Amino acid sequence: MKRALQSVFGLAFGILLFVNTSTLHAETVAPEELVRRLAADVTDAVRKDPELQNPASPKIADIVGRLIVPRFDFQRITQFAMGRNWAKATPAEQKEIVDQFGRLLTRTYSNAIASLKELDIEVKGTKIITANADVTVKTQMIGRPQPVAIDYSLINGPAGWKVYDVTVEGISLIAAYREEFGTLVSSSGVSGLIDVLKKKNGA
Amino acid sequence: MRIASRLFLSLSLLCAAASVAHADEPASPEAASTEPAPAFDPIEPVNRATFALNDVIDMIIVNPLVSLWNGVLPQPVRQGVSNVFDNLDDVYAGVNHVLQGSPSTAGADFGRVIVNTTVGVGGLFDVGTKVGLKKTYGDFGQTLGVWGFSTGPYVVLPLIGPSTLRDTSGRAVRVVTDARNLLPSNTSYALMGTEYLATRADAKSNENLVAASSLDRYVFVRNLYLQRRAMLVKTGKDIAAGKAQ
Repeated sequence: MKRALQSVFGLAFGILLFVNTSTLHAETVAPEELVRRLAADVTDAVRKDPELQNPASPKIADIVGRLIVPRFDFQRITQFAMGRNWAKATPAEQKEIVDQFGRLLTRTYSNAIASLKELDIEVKGTKIITANADVTVKTQMIGRPQPVAIDYSLINGPAGWKVYDVTVEGISLIAAYREEFGTLVSSSGVSGLIDVLKKKNGA
Repeated sequence: MRIASRLFLSLSLLCAAASVAHADEPASPEAASTEPAPAFDPIEPVNRATFALNDVIDMIIVNPLVSLWNGVLPQPVRQGVSNVFDNLDDVYAGVNHVLQGSPSTAGADFGRVIVNTTVGVGGLFDVGTKVGLKKTYGDFGQTLGVWGFSTGPYVVLPLIGPSTLRDTSGRAVRVVTDARNLLPSNTSYALMGTEYLATRADAKSNENLVAASSLDRYVFVRNLYLQRRAMLVKTGKDIAAGKAQ
């Protein structure tokens, strides 16, 4: 996927280097395509491999690491979730929080992978927040009694488009953690937050 | 009772954004980078105690019953039971969409009730969705929000879980007007108990996800609940203003 994305961008940059207007096309298509492939890759993998339908399978970590993690910007997810507390952490602490929080997210949400067997994700459209920089791809997860609206917020960085927030039925992941992080930092400081994250990860 | 439990219980996955002051504002694109005001939770110590009490009740009574429920009833039966209660909810969704000034959504809600009650055998099957009558969420707390009432303080209700003063008022309206009040009280309680259990069983995997991913579960659940409610009010306003669907 990353390779595909890079080639999309390679194409955009290579061919359209002197045709500025055409880059508009690349910027609206790319994030939507990224989300579509992200969804298709993961659901295909789960359907093809019965082992992945068992939430306890060690193979899930592999799929998550290969297909999902590279498309998420954990640095930015953490930074947004920390809000103004981000500046209170030293660079070493920031690195530690990004690492631990990334582990917490991948570990807990890996458990949901197995259920994707009978679910499909349909891309409904893209809302451009800042052209070529910040967009929200709206999707619907179908296959349950009622469809679930899932929005992926993506930002265009040096490594291409990456997801920095996921909003499920109006609930933003970043917003949910920001309050928790804020509460913990104000009660026990940045180091207290790191301790809680580590403990949660069993490290 | 149904709306209440449904909400909360389904709450698990669902359920906050921000404070009372900001709760009803549309999420701005910059939301990710701005600092939200803290949740309005003036009785937090009491709420935390109720939250802990609910955990104890869950552990001792609810979880074993949910395991039994899931273990004894096959998935299609459990789905059928949920559908019957959802069908009753659609009546209230319709009433609320009328109150919110969204008559066409209300029409679809009542259309669902008619189709699901007849072709869907008393609500056991959700035929409405299959014929294009989409389920739209609607409750009295949301209606108060659409009318411009702020959420008021956050409260945790015994057994039911997260709520706000506004949503508790809405829930009270629902309980008082529930058609099941016309039934003999034993039947009515049995139905409420079944509904509660069905809702909790539906929500279990989400509740587990919340427990696994949160650092301070009380804060996390409060945030999810308030975000979810703010979104439902915004959706209600958007539909009434003709901006959505």
